[in-house]
Amino acid sequence: MSDIEALDSGIAAADRADAAPARGLWRRYEPAILGTGSIVLLLAAWEALPRLVTLSAGTKLFFTTPSRVVGTLWDMFATGEIWPPLGVSAGAFALGLGIAIVVALPLGVLLGRSATLSALLDPFITAFNATPRLVFLPLVMLWFGLGLWSKVVIVFIGALFPLLINTYEGVRNADRLLINVVRSFGADEWAIARLVILPNALPYIVVGLRLAIGRAILGVVVAEFFGSAEGLGVVMVRAASSYHVDVVFAGLIVFAALSLVMTAMVKLVEDRLQRWRPQHANG
Amino acid sequence: MGAYIEGRDVNLTFRPPSRAPVPALRHFDIEVNEGEFLSIVGPSGCGKSTFLNVLLGLLTPDSGNLSVDGKHITGPGTDRAMVFQEFGLLPWRTVQGNVELGLELKGMAAAERHDISGRLIRMVGLAGFETHYPHELSGGMKQRVGLARALATDPDVLLMDEPFAALDAQTRDLMQVELLRIWQETRKTVLFVTHQIDEAIYLSDRVMVMTRRPGQAKRMFAVDLPRPRDYEMRVTREFNDLKLEIWNALKDEIVV
Amino acid sequence: MADIAADIPVPRASFVARHRRALLGLLAVVVFLAAWQAAFLVVPFNPLFITKPSLMLAGLLDMLATGELVDALGASAIPFVLGLAAAAVIGVAVGIVMGWRMRVGYALDPLLTVFYASPLVALAPLVVVFFGVGTGAKTMIVFLLAVFPFIFNAFAGTRAVDRLLIDVVRSLGGAEKDLYVKVIIPSVLPYIVAAARIAVGRALIGVLVGEFFAASEGIGYAIARFGDLFALDRMFACILVIMAIAVALTEGIRWAERAAFPWRIGQ
Repeated sequence: MSDIEALDSGIAAADRADAAPARGLWRRYEPAILGTGSIVLLLAAWEALPRLVTLSAGTKLFFTTPSRVVGTLWDMFATGEIWPPLGVSAGAFALGLGIAIVVALPLGVLLGRSATLSALLDPFITAFNATPRLVFLPLVMLWFGLGLWSKVVIVFIGALFPLLINTYEGVRNADRLLINVVRSFGADEWAIARLVILPNALPYIVVGLRLAIGRAILGVVVAEFFGSAEGLGVVMVRAASSYHVDVVFAGLIVFAALSLVMTAMVKLVEDRLQRWRPQHANG
Repeated sequence: MGAYIEGRDVNLTFRPPSRAPVPALRHFDIEVNEGEFLSIVGPSGCGKSTFLNVLLGLLTPDSGNLSVDGKHITGPGTDRAMVFQEFGLLPWRTVQGNVELGLELKGMAAAERHDISGRLIRMVGLAGFETHYPHELSGGMKQRVGLARALATDPDVLLMDEPFAALDAQTRDLMQVELLRIWQETRKTVLFVTHQIDEAIYLSDRVMVMTRRPGQAKRMFAVDLPRPRDYEMRVTREFNDLKLEIWNALKDEIVV
Repeated sequence: MADIAADIPVPRASFVARHRRALLGLLAVVVFLAAWQAAFLVVPFNPLFITKPSLMLAGLLDMLATGELVDALGASAIPFVLGLAAAAVIGVAVGIVMGWRMRVGYALDPLLTVFYASPLVALAPLVVVFFGVGTGAKTMIVFLLAVFPFIFNAFAGTRAVDRLLIDVVRSLGGAEKDLYVKVIIPSVLPYIVAAARIAVGRALIGVLVGEFFAASEGIGYAIARFGDLFALDRMFACILVIMAIAVALTEGIRWAERAAFPWRIGQ
């Protein structure tokens, strides 16, 4: 057998080994089964660990199991004690994100249309975008204290840049050909924006929104860790220092769930708005 | 003189912001008769597309006179419409939405728009595809939409900028036949830019050859073939003699 | 036909025109700094609340002279580099295995996506409590934050290897080694470098989180300390230093990406 044939049959054999048995049902659901399977496996191993292995006193202090975390989570909701801090966190999140949207969208459009303006602001945007906003936290706390507003500012800074940059890209990226086409049929600047620029920018803006949501949640968590009196993050920090590890994980789950839910909602809107796109196109 | 479309001494130089200026048209003259099908052939970059854009009103010449039906051109207008080489369909609109674009911008009411677009979509052979999106269409189909859209506003002059260049050869041949069929029905004045001499002769009443950049009119050829044109005409002696003449006028302008 | 050269001069575009964007940016920064400095001629200056560019510069030079700045940066750099390196090695390895072996990819992808989507920063307090205050905790946090971009990008890069290219190399007589050297690694490398760009940002966050929480050294710690002391001039100076480093790293990698992988469009 020549080298190539040997290689060929070798790789083909590997492919076959990897390929699912030719039963339709298994093949269709294999990814999902493996995926959930691994998660289940991980959780089961974690749960079983303390029963199988004796932990040192130190480790035992802050070891917890999935069942305990779920139990704590359930308690927190059942007793309603989670709502006040969650409300505080959610409020800061919503406020910061909302202000970011209101600022980023018009500014992004403006920057996309005006090369001069974008050249002037470019160094500032690049610098702030590359910098982790955590670096501003002490300063923000100095200026705004320990209350709602320092959180809002951190969330705002985090959410602003993905939205701004994506809106800018979406606007700038509008097809010159389409602008010319529409102009040739008699469109004025407003009509051009309505017919070409905004529909083109929309997918970008939505991607920016998804990124902004993730960053906004991180912003709330981080701001609450270091400089707040109330909120879910504060609860988590206190729990950590008093070794209530299950509370920390419970809090993490809540934040993660919020992030996933909101991102999923945005994806839904995104899909509805994108019926005109060929599949597999992504902004 | 009083030709339907008249251009006298049109000059245009592009001045991109951070590069050297590019002269596109110099002392460009042209006369087109009403209802005529005129093709312009020329080497790449000679300014033929630039001229169409000037005629369309998207570009302003540095100097020179340009008028359609006696009216000076100052910008885009509903008396002229273009079919673009890369189709230029709005991807987020359906076929019908695209065809109605010009009508919407004119402020026409929905019912009337649907009437006109429906008729045109049938005329270009796309009945049944009204609610499809551009990404679901083939190249030939997209260009038919482009044609329907251009015809929707009932322009006096139809400008076509290498409309079939993005299509494969077989589709291209079919589209040429289709174009002539649709033109016979509407008899617009057509200015057609192309690289292909075959295409130019097959479709037109006259063919203009342009010089290389900066473009000027070099020679005008009359096409004496009878209408309706027949695919078989492309293999006749007269067709190929004319093709050779035009080629000879063109080849000195081409820079490889 | 008129001679082109005679009546259409073709001058080169001026220096200003060619570098318009950069010059405008520079102008904006200069104007901003000047306005900031000059603002206090009209507005009262409260050193507990704000600082001036001149004072920032003075503070920066002073810190450089005493070696304070370099010490702080050095202390931060260790967990940063260690965590990032570990993240790169482990992340890329896991990603490639996931991409190459379909089943591993299926199994780990959802799990890792969940991890990536969670604000892992939230676990920072736990890490600090577990590892105690110091370089170990910081390195761990950096690793946790930086590993995911490497995993996912290596995964995507491996999956994206063009089968056609593999066939081409095979058909030209390539052995397994050639496949790796000529097709797989060049295909995956751009993804990894892009991941590095993202990971660097996340690693910086990791260092800062670690230092804000409970550290006794490092640039993040310095910022927090200056804040407590209301030494705003030095605080701002340190913030600027971090901004400069962040920009240098991300833009540097971006530049390297463009130079090394000019065939990559987008991403």
